[in-house]
Amino acid sequence: MKRIFALIMVTVLCSHALFAIEEQDIPAFMQNNIDTATSLLRDKKMQKDEKSAKLFAIFDSIFDYTLMSQLALGGKQWSSLTASKQAEFTKLFEMKLKISYMEKLDLYTDEKIVIKNLEKIKDTRIHLTTHLMKNSEVYEIIYKFYKDKNGSWMIYDVDILGVSIIQTYRTQFADILAKESFDSLLEKLKQPGDAMQKKQ
Amino acid sequence: MRFILACLLSLTFVCASDYIGTTVHGGDDFEAEFKSKNSENLFDPLSGYNEIMTGFNDKFYEYLLRPTAQGYAYVMPQMARNGVSNFFDNLFFPIRLVNNLLQLKFYNSLEETERFVLNSTMGILGFRDVAGEELNIKTHDEDLGQTLGYYGVGSGFHVVLPFFGPSNVRDIVGLTGDMWLNPITYMKGRGDANLVDNTGQGIAATAFYTINKTSLHVKEYDNFKKDAIELYPFLRNFYESRRDKLISE
Repeated sequence: MKRIFALIMVTVLCSHALFAIEEQDIPAFMQNNIDTATSLLRDKKMQKDEKSAKLFAIFDSIFDYTLMSQLALGGKQWSSLTASKQAEFTKLFEMKLKISYMEKLDLYTDEKIVIKNLEKIKDTRIHLTTHLMKNSEVYEIIYKFYKDKNGSWMIYDVDILGVSIIQTYRTQFADILAKESFDSLLEKLKQPGDAMQKKQ
Repeated sequence: MRFILACLLSLTFVCASDYIGTTVHGGDDFEAEFKSKNSENLFDPLSGYNEIMTGFNDKFYEYLLRPTAQGYAYVMPQMARNGVSNFFDNLFFPIRLVNNLLQLKFYNSLEETERFVLNSTMGILGFRDVAGEELNIKTHDEDLGQTLGYYGVGSGFHVVLPFFGPSNVRDIVGLTGDMWLNPITYMKGRGDANLVDNTGQGIAATAFYTINKTSLHVKEYDNFKKDAIELYPFLRNFYESRRDKLISE
């Protein structure tokens, strides 16, 4: 009996020891990313394409596009899709996010971004609040991190002025899917992408 | 002994479920963070009308408001337009003051008053935002819709107003209430707020305010609108989330 007890206690203790969190690196890591990104943005000589390529190299390492796609579509819808459809959707959604971001680059002048606060929501969630200063106005941007299976922190959503990007897409996708098929949603996602390619 | 064993076992299960809850991703854990607002459980009784009105407002913006604002921007230098924008913002001081007071935000009310006094005098009738630029006293935008939300009034269903754009039941009540605090309502030197009689000038002033404001944000709005796949749910979600955020501040 004692042996069983010991065994159980060990399992309990071990399972808890597995998620001891070391997230102290996040602010420095993000500050570094933001600094690199803003210095890239300020670089007036660099071409827009090269600029965005370099920026996306930073993003790709910290954004979990697959999870973002899954959340934007909603768990039920996502699990009803075949793996190839999921992959296709993820690719299109990632493109959509990147194009939207690239268009925003045109608006960038010399705003400053500062890290304001790192808040641990729960064991696997961290919200990093940053302030973007433009003229005398301050815009709040919150990066939402989660701890993935490998134990590294990844971004799954961004709140701008209280508006969640994922929620914005989620509402639209739900609205489209209530009326139309999934394939027509894919078509709609393709449209702006095509328009961008034509321009280039 | 069996009892102790049972207790221990249940303890492990609790821990185990805790363990699963925090490490399995993409499960219900995440789903709960986002509103599962699909058209079935979202209460949007006016969705048909709202969609049509969104289309109408968008056409109005594309074919009338934007060209007008751009033409206006062409003849009016940006500095003057910023001044006009400051002037109107200063004019709406009563709305902000009363609503800050209603929400018991006394420090913000004081700052608003300081801004009004400084900008109306040194800022020459509010054309220059001296308080903001020199003393870094920021405006605290509050309206009656936010005040109602602050006291727990729900937003009600979403309503798209002609020309004004996205709103909801609570904010329409708020807008109506705020009209009594809006100096534009009292133009023509009337003591009474006769909303019906002086609408002509009121509308002209509001139109001027809108054109001026639009002229300062055409680029941003166009860029913002490009992100939309479906305009109506996009604007609805943006508006409702933004208002919730403003109320919580």
